[in-house]
Amino acid sequence: MTVDTPKLWVEGASKTFEGLTALAPSTLSLQPGEFVSLVGPSGCGKSTLFNLVSGLLRPDDGRIEIDGVDVTGQSGHVGYMLQKDLLVPWRSVVDNITLGAALTRGVTKADRAQAVDFARRYGLGDFLDHYPHALSGGMRQRVALMRTLATNHDLLLLDEPFGALDSQTRLEMQQWLLEVWAETQRTVLFVTHDVDESIFLSDRILVMSPRPGRIVSELVVNLPRPRTLQQMTEPDFIAIKRQILDLLHGTAAG
Amino acid sequence: MNWRTPARIFLIPVVSILLVFLVWDLIIRIFNVEPFVAPSPGEALGALRDNWSILWPLAIETIRETAYGFVLGAVLGFVLAVAMAQTRIVQGLVYPVLITSQAVPIIAIAAPLVILLGFGIWPKIVIVAWIVFFPVAVSVLDGLANVDDDLLKLAHVMGGTRSRVFFKIRLPATVSPLYSGLKIGATYAVTGAIIGELVASTGSSLAGFQRTANSSLDTPAVWGTTILMTAIGISWFLLVVAIERLTTPWRTRSTVRRLPFRRHPD
Repeated sequence: MTVDTPKLWVEGASKTFEGLTALAPSTLSLQPGEFVSLVGPSGCGKSTLFNLVSGLLRPDDGRIEIDGVDVTGQSGHVGYMLQKDLLVPWRSVVDNITLGAALTRGVTKADRAQAVDFARRYGLGDFLDHYPHALSGGMRQRVALMRTLATNHDLLLLDEPFGALDSQTRLEMQQWLLEVWAETQRTVLFVTHDVDESIFLSDRILVMSPRPGRIVSELVVNLPRPRTLQQMTEPDFIAIKRQILDLLHGTAAG
Repeated sequence: MNWRTPARIFLIPVVSILLVFLVWDLIIRIFNVEPFVAPSPGEALGALRDNWSILWPLAIETIRETAYGFVLGAVLGFVLAVAMAQTRIVQGLVYPVLITSQAVPIIAIAAPLVILLGFGIWPKIVIVAWIVFFPVAVSVLDGLANVDDDLLKLAHVMGGTRSRVFFKIRLPATVSPLYSGLKIGATYAVTGAIIGELVASTGSSLAGFQRTANSSLDTPAVWGTTILMTAIGISWFLLVVAIERLTTPWRTRSTVRRLPFRRHPD
């Protein structure tokens, strides 16, 4: 593996369902440690692209590489998190974090130690032994992200992870995610409807458009890190937001 | 107001049972019913006390029949449901048999079972199991069919193996529905045992005792025996509820019960 090998390389991947093109041939690449968002209206192929990269679906055409290795149609190579936290109700917080190990090879002492360490470091230290039903929505999503980290994949696919949270909690979670991302140095592909969210979090934003689902534009977010809430009202931020809204509005009207 | 405090959990059902006895007693008094037609609760309980030394060993026997049949029915129902959930063909083949088994009047199947299995404990066990396996099979089948699809997708993306996903996700997901089935089964199980005794007994059983008391017009003893049978049924239900609470702590507790030596390292 050379320094130039992208973390994720999607080349001309496409998918058709019953004659409808869910995703036209699309190409994208993520560098190690990058935070990239996919933004677009419903039906733009975000979820299809996601399912191709996660290995839930096999593309009709094209290939997907992680660290230069062809993983087209294969699962088990990425961390994956959805809007639904999908915590297992009969497992405690720690046991939910180690779910990946439990489902693949069995939980070791090291897995548990890592889970406890993650939980303590990222604000769940008092809830190690709690069952999910005893946690708030924000807390549950924290556990879900810890579970995703604990699978120890460098590439994380996050599909609207904060979509179901109230706006206050959502802002907190976004800041918290950036903190986790910066410390753990993972590569993130993030799907969202929320333009502000995508700008606040990302290095790059890929704007998608429906019928057929495809990537129509790429924007680089040159805002300094670490990001702060103040930035969200500054001219640079607003300029990027206007650009994205134009793209989305233009494609929606056209 | 906390309705889940232990005192209330026990107190409210006790009060409601006492009310039933009170109404029963009032009806007997107001209409001045003769004891050989229908006894008051006091007379029925008195007869129960007077015959206790005979009734208690018989009750033990009924409890044994219920217990064996219940466990057998629960295991069969569970295994059947898990097997049916594996393939559509098996499910398609077995489901009609399942329904048919419950359409057979249980009284009508009791006599043939006695001819087949004799007068011992076996026909009673089979009848109880026959009654219990159905709600268990149906609820577990429901539980297996209703595992969150997204959770299974997540397991797949994580690279979960088929057998581990089954044992760590699908199977535990059947626990709650399993208990729903067991609770329904528990209330009917004792009825099944009594039907078995009624058809297959030579006299030394609760049902046999009741029949003898009935034919000698000892109505208080008839009612007393009914109270005893009912108490066994209720106890059985409560036992299932207690086991449910112990084995599904995530439904009632907010944290894992953890022994001191299993605390997380600091």
